[in-house]
Amino acid sequence: MLATGSAGAALTALPAPSTAAPSTAALATAAQRAGTRYFQHGIASGDPLPTTVLLWTRVTPTAASRPGSGKGPRVTVTWEVSTRKDFRRVLRRGAFVTGPSRDHTVKLDVTGLKPATWYYYRFGFRGTHSRTGRTRTAPAADATPTNLRFGVVSCTNWQAGYFAAYRGLAARNDLHAVLHLGDYLYEYGAGGYGYGSGDVDIRTHDPRHEMVSLSDYRRRHAQYKTDPDLQDAHAKFPWVITWDDHEVTNDQYATGAENHQPGEGDYLRRRARSHRAYDEWMPVRMNDTAGLRDGDRLYRRLTFGRLAEISMLDLRTYRSKQVVTLAPTPVPAIEAEVSDPDRTITGAAQMRWLKESLARPKPFWKVIGNPVMITPVSFVQVPADLLGPINDVTGLLPEDGFPYNVDQWDGYTADRKEVLRFIKDRHVQNALFVTGDIHSGWAAEVPYDVGNYPLGGTGAVEFVCTSVTSNNLKDITGTPAHTTSAVVEAAILANNRHIKYLNFDDHGFSVLDLNAKRAQMDWFVIGDRADKNTPIRYSRSFVSVAASGRVKETDRPLHTQKPGQS
Amino acid sequence: MCGCGDRHAPGEPTPYDVGQAELTTGRRTLLKAGGGLAFSTAALAAGAGAADAAPLARTRKRVYVLVFDGCTPEEISGGQAPHLADLMFGGKRFAKAQSMPIMETIPNHVMMMTGVRPDRSGVPANSVFDRKLGAVRDLDRSSDLRADTIIERLNRRGLRTGTVLSKEYLYGVFGTRATARWEPFPVLPITGHAPDEFTINAAMAMVEDVDPHLMFVNLGDIDRFGHADVTGPLGVKALRRLALAKTDLYVQRFVDLLKSRGTWKHSMLVVLADHSMDWSTTNRVVSLAGPLDEDPVLRGRVQIADNGGADLLYWTGPSAQKEDAVRRMVRIARAETGVLSVFDRRHKSLRLGPQAGEVVAFCRSGWRFSDPDPVTSNPIPGNHGHPATRPIPFFINGGHPRLQHYAASSLVAQTIDVAPTVGRFFGLTGAPKGGYDGRARI
Repeated sequence: MLATGSAGAALTALPAPSTAAPSTAALATAAQRAGTRYFQHGIASGDPLPTTVLLWTRVTPTAASRPGSGKGPRVTVTWEVSTRKDFRRVLRRGAFVTGPSRDHTVKLDVTGLKPATWYYYRFGFRGTHSRTGRTRTAPAADATPTNLRFGVVSCTNWQAGYFAAYRGLAARNDLHAVLHLGDYLYEYGAGGYGYGSGDVDIRTHDPRHEMVSLSDYRRRHAQYKTDPDLQDAHAKFPWVITWDDHEVTNDQYATGAENHQPGEGDYLRRRARSHRAYDEWMPVRMNDTAGLRDGDRLYRRLTFGRLAEISMLDLRTYRSKQVVTLAPTPVPAIEAEVSDPDRTITGAAQMRWLKESLARPKPFWKVIGNPVMITPVSFVQVPADLLGPINDVTGLLPEDGFPYNVDQWDGYTADRKEVLRFIKDRHVQNALFVTGDIHSGWAAEVPYDVGNYPLGGTGAVEFVCTSVTSNNLKDITGTPAHTTSAVVEAAILANNRHIKYLNFDDHGFSVLDLNAKRAQMDWFVIGDRADKNTPIRYSRSFVSVAASGRVKETDRPLHTQKPGQS
Repeated sequence: MCGCGDRHAPGEPTPYDVGQAELTTGRRTLLKAGGGLAFSTAALAAGAGAADAAPLARTRKRVYVLVFDGCTPEEISGGQAPHLADLMFGGKRFAKAQSMPIMETIPNHVMMMTGVRPDRSGVPANSVFDRKLGAVRDLDRSSDLRADTIIERLNRRGLRTGTVLSKEYLYGVFGTRATARWEPFPVLPITGHAPDEFTINAAMAMVEDVDPHLMFVNLGDIDRFGHADVTGPLGVKALRRLALAKTDLYVQRFVDLLKSRGTWKHSMLVVLADHSMDWSTTNRVVSLAGPLDEDPVLRGRVQIADNGGADLLYWTGPSAQKEDAVRRMVRIARAETGVLSVFDRRHKSLRLGPQAGEVVAFCRSGWRFSDPDPVTSNPIPGNHGHPATRPIPFFINGGHPRLQHYAASSLVAQTIDVAPTVGRFFGLTGAPKGGYDGRARI
């Protein structure tokens, strides 16, 4: 049976034969070439559940069916899922109708799978097949997996260089999934934001102007999806992704953005277009469905047996406008407005939902996919018990010291306080924030009262991955590694003893491993982003022993351990 | 009081007093042990009175349940107790382990030994309002515990059991169930407990002289010094850290003894806490008595059993008005600053039973209840009973080949799991009538 009806709206699983006829190598190669023509933007899987996984691709049925063009016919794409790479035994198959109304993207949930199982999948069109992808379902709800291992990335700016970090992830065989913490793509036009202090474009964005229209967003998504390293990484593992600001535009908040000008039209309409393109082009469930135009709620939970649950946050769509500071980051902000309880970074509904996540009794690790850093990074911190009376009189001081970046939770300390208060009241254990956004690597404890650390205890720990390509401090200042950055790192570490690791110099990816003994993150760094073949090397490892709320360095990287080891 | 002090009707002897009197009158046998210690005993000969249990009685297996009263998981995983940490990391640990409501000493020790929730054991809290007595009292009478214990189950199969419980009220509630029990001595005034140095000596002496198959040990210093630690609210916890360091050494002595005797290779050591601890300052005290008394329906008709981090509210008015009274108590308690959550006691998750009254209120972290008097009823900084004090350390070690080492589980272990774990280790078949509420963790 073939699905019919409005494009993408109908999906029918076809009965799967027990075997498929073998094809010759020559036929396969020809089909693969043809498949590459039709499936130029790769394939992907995401948001794995115990018996369901989301599959994605984009078909280019005609030369005119360019992304963002709104042109091309409605067509039917088939899909197959197998436990065998050669698809000699197809377990699930079906057909999906797509067309220009959804930019010829294909996104569907495959159900009826077994938990914690690797599957192969591919799409078919006009007798050809896409490349074969591999994906994995989540463990069953009551399973106790020995370990879970995730690649962790964020901040992938096309213009700033090549995605070597994705190459590094794709080369691994030990991951269960990849977490992307946001800034999957950037909005800037040519020369707007590139490599180093001169913003050189190693590769130039398409379209060459800032993305604003629906067509712009679609074209930009399409361009990123042509990157071979990105395609390989998507094809190798299921991804779990959230957005940060650049998926719409820089420093966005609920009703606007720093990089949105009146001449670019109504902001909310722009954001809606961005979200629509995102839903079409990304292997994520928005509003918990693979369907389009049924809502744009991206915050969601994914459970991996009893060992972990990942709560992916959206910290842009519902947040209050950032506080305007006297001086830009990294100059510490002195504005007490960052602690205004009427301001929010999560929004009320997402805050309630996050508390539900934290309160759930079964997950051992409560991983929070966190687009911006929650650990206080500030100066001149005063214990809360002393600060309270001062502010009762003056109302002049931020609650957690003078923050260096008000775009992260430091600019919304009332929400952070509410989360930590919730954790403390219930003694929630093993809350682990995994974060992107700031183009640098961090390992930190999240103190209940930063002015009374360590005596006041900690409510969570946080690991922050660096950027894949987006400029870090060394790049922005145009200074060699370990010079300017070393001075800033030393100043931050000296004033924030809860922060155990900080690297402002490198780009790369991280690998997070969870077991019932500890959480460990390894940082991997790359050489020059401008070099497509730049080398990748292991850098540092930090660990948080279960139920300790602490972070420390370990000299035992994951590749020297067996799964489940501490 | 916080629920950890002794509360009895004026002139009423405590169970501890009764125990001492029994010894004086010779109703219990006094076994002299080394070091001037004494255990009161029932029949000590294995198999006596248990003709059906000879195979079990010949077992060389030994179980030692060590309860570090009031210890938090972070205190062990954070490196403040190196010997305990070695035992934990070298054994099988449950890093996500929990005390059960009410997170107090007596109910959680009872849950450990019964494997059932308070609605079945009859022991929901340290302090309750006794409707017959017409007063708030500790649940420290042997008759308060209505469920079968693993101690008694093993006794019936001819195994020797022993209790070495540092606190008077634990001594009271477990009564003469064990075949040998230590009379805590010297008992410090106010705290009502014997210091850990004496308790561990007693435990070691009992191993040497009685060699119980199951020994249940409560070490009270960490809790008692925690309650009194005025540096707790600042996070310094000076007294408590000192107590923890000393108790950590005592435990190592105990393990060394087992190894030197050759007992270790047959042993299972279950180490856990009954609850953890939280600290508050004098300006973060909740007292519900006043607000409840302002309500015209509730005035003079509510009794409160203060359990430190939890208040149990009892309606003493006409039954016909009870539902209305419950609604009023819940509403009023929820409105008080420092209150985290308030439940109708019948809430299915609590399973506390009618002894816990009509309404249960929990305070927030960093707060405490003081009822009925907001100043004098509970002046101590360290408290528990509320959700902030629910996580506990819980791990299993020992030399018996059945046990896992350097292992960890992501499952949530609870105090209620101890009895089924002990039962499974000894190969006891069946379960108490109605089954265990807990699960075996080996």
